[in-house]
Amino acid sequence: MPSVQSLLFSSNVTWYLFPLALAISLVYSASRYELPERILGRAIRLFLQIIGFMSAAFLVLWILTYGI
Amino acid sequence: MHVGQSCPLSLDSVASAVHRNEPSPFHVSCATIRFCELSCGIRAQPIDRGNINLIETSQMTVVSSSTGVAHPKPWEEKSRWIAGLLAILIPGAGHFYQGRILKGLIYSFSILGLFAWGQKLGEGTVVYNLPDKGGIFRHVALSYAAQLATGAVAMPALIQNKRAEQSTNQKLTRIAGPLTAEFQGRLVPLDQPNRGTLIGTVTVHPKEGDYGPEMEGTFSGSLDGERIEIPLGGRFELDKPIKAGFRRQIECGVVEPSALAGKMIEGSIPRSLFNAYGSPPDVDQLQELNGRLGKLYELALVFTWIAGLLNILAFWDCICGPAYGFGDEHLNPLGNDDSKTPPATGESQRRVASDAETSRAEPRAALKSPA
Repeated sequence: MPSVQSLLFSSNVTWYLFPLALAISLVYSASRYELPERILGRAIRLFLQIIGFMSAAFLVLWILTYGI
Repeated sequence: MHVGQSCPLSLDSVASAVHRNEPSPFHVSCATIRFCELSCGIRAQPIDRGNINLIETSQMTVVSSSTGVAHPKPWEEKSRWIAGLLAILIPGAGHFYQGRILKGLIYSFSILGLFAWGQKLGEGTVVYNLPDKGGIFRHVALSYAAQLATGAVAMPALIQNKRAEQSTNQKLTRIAGPLTAEFQGRLVPLDQPNRGTLIGTVTVHPKEGDYGPEMEGTFSGSLDGERIEIPLGGRFELDKPIKAGFRRQIECGVVEPSALAGKMIEGSIPRSLFNAYGSPPDVDQLQELNGRLGKLYELALVFTWIAGLLNILAFWDCICGPAYGFGDEHLNPLGNDDSKTPPATGESQRRVASDAETSRAEPRAALKSPA
């Protein structure tokens, strides 16, 4: 079973997903709406969706590679 | 939600204390104006009747509920050409021009921040234009096209590509004039591992030797932390002037009378921003970068691509407005089409003024009574 440390080491680049998703969420939401509260609310929701989906995909891949 | 309905808000500066706890038509009128202040952003003008600060309905500038909420459209008020051009060149600049400050800040920081971070991760070598001369992308590489959408920060690569292709852009074995630059490198061959680190200043100049032009100079600095001066001469090689990367490779031979004669110094000196920014890398340099940076180099590319693609959204928003509208269209009884909402001035004011006239009878009667 891969250790937590090796997981973090192998997924170093993965941490860059967070600022990338944040920037994409903000810009996309800002291009959809005009009111600040709508922009920020939509951006937060989209950010959580992206992170959630990527986390689920990462989890599936981790399970599939378990023990390899 | 306007004249005739109760106001859930407390009144402080709008009306006097007499009105605060009195469920009278004054309260209704003041509350209506207060509500209008918050809902449509139009401020009512208070009038002073002696020691009672009242607001008469005829003085209001409100938008009645039948017309819904109206928003000004800044992208229609300013020149779209100028706004679009600014948006293309600098992410967020078009929005600043239109007065949409928050959106401009979001676009500027997000897009330019991503681009700058990508450049930092890739050591300034990820944005360049090396088109496939035989294919459909003869002038602009597909990879660079996405980066180019970021704007002026990516445009230098269009010119740098042409400059790098010039015949004069070659590795140099001698230079025409003296060169003095800050040097970082090592002494080779190494006597021991992890030794031979050189940090200092290299000075070279051409001279006429027995067999033709030669280079000579000195290195002044430190060798593994110890102060040293090394005479240079013989072999000399300097990297291309126009190339990706802010460090330029240099090699010089060490000559007598130094005890290190026969060795070489190899390292790098600074390359000017004018020659480095946007210039394409060599194949050897690309291999070295990918080998050293690994996934970070690809991530750097991805950051710059996404920055450019996001600026397309920003540009579109700048010239056409938000794709889904303001975001409060569900409050508009006329539907989601913002074009159906009337302007917040002029016509709607006259309409409401006539509405206010018919509902003014009771409040006006109360206005005439002393406090």
